[in-house]
Amino acid sequence: MYAKADITVRSDLDRAHARAWRRLGEPGTWLDGRTRIEIAAELRHAVDCELCKARTEALSASVVSGAHRSLNKLAPAHIEIVHRLRHDAARITQQWVEDIAVAGIGEGEYVETLAVAATVLAVDGFTDALGWPRHALPEPSGGEPSRARPANARLDIAWVATLPPGEQREDEVDPYRDTSGVHIHQALSLVPTETIAFFELDAAQYLPDSALRDYGTEYRALTHVQIEYLAARVSAINQCVY
Amino acid sequence: MLLRGSGEHNREALALEGIMPNAGMTSGFAGEDVLAELADAFYASDPKRLATARERLRDALGDDALVDAAGIIGIFDAVVRVADGTGVPLEDYKDEASAGFRPALGINRFHPDKP
Repeated sequence: MYAKADITVRSDLDRAHARAWRRLGEPGTWLDGRTRIEIAAELRHAVDCELCKARTEALSASVVSGAHRSLNKLAPAHIEIVHRLRHDAARITQQWVEDIAVAGIGEGEYVETLAVAATVLAVDGFTDALGWPRHALPEPSGGEPSRARPANARLDIAWVATLPPGEQREDEVDPYRDTSGVHIHQALSLVPTETIAFFELDAAQYLPDSALRDYGTEYRALTHVQIEYLAARVSAINQCVY
Repeated sequence: MLLRGSGEHNREALALEGIMPNAGMTSGFAGEDVLAELADAFYASDPKRLATARERLRDALGDDALVDAAGIIGIFDAVVRVADGTGVPLEDYKDEASAGFRPALGINRFHPDKP
């Protein structure tokens, strides 16, 4: 994806972005390819939403009503979710997840929407930070979502069902095959293929899980200290409690 | 915690408060200023400031470091939303290990309603 860029991009990172971008348009577990691309397009479009800007400035998002500046391709509840993730994720509450997100589009659909949005934000964030044009969204491919829910997924540590590490059945995908299964790895585990895909992207853009505490080895041009400082700075700017 | 761990490995006494925007202090390691400015400029909706921040980082740390930094900004802009959108709590062991410095950083004041 970056062969013609004016700065060399690591081949593992280039491959990870190509893989992530191709997956965007493919049918997922709960959403078809077209819906996944519509989520990506809405997420990009949402950046100029006046309602969202007014809500972020209000003490509580729920006190400001109105209509989103939207492409209107998704259902209203889905548009609300995408805009909230884009503009005001830090103030999402358990009640909003239960009453608006899960009740509005379904639990699996919500978790997969989160994964699609996170993928687009990660790749767009990379190109934006470098001042490069964003990638064109891929054409959606046909096919139906599998709707395969892990049998042992349940409400446990999060506001959505998760699959505790080691509890996948033999015939199910292990969402933790390349990670340790800490809470952030469990967040999307209701949709195991999205968990794997997102943390593959994470490993390429940040560090593989196995390298996080290997302080004696530097894996990137940035040192461990520099990487962790930057990660912490971004988290602090976003007021992320986790 | 990983910042503290990596600093301890290098026997660097890092001031963790320096990660906070507008803290008025630095953590105390090479390249901190250009990394902080790239992150802050990314969220400032000011293309000119972001372009300047890129060039400063490139001059100070090199092209490969700029690519790494862009990757980290992008992925953490996403990871925070995964955490916020699902409500996953901090692990108990991380909560205990960070209890000593979280109040000083002001993290507990972000969203006291969250786990």
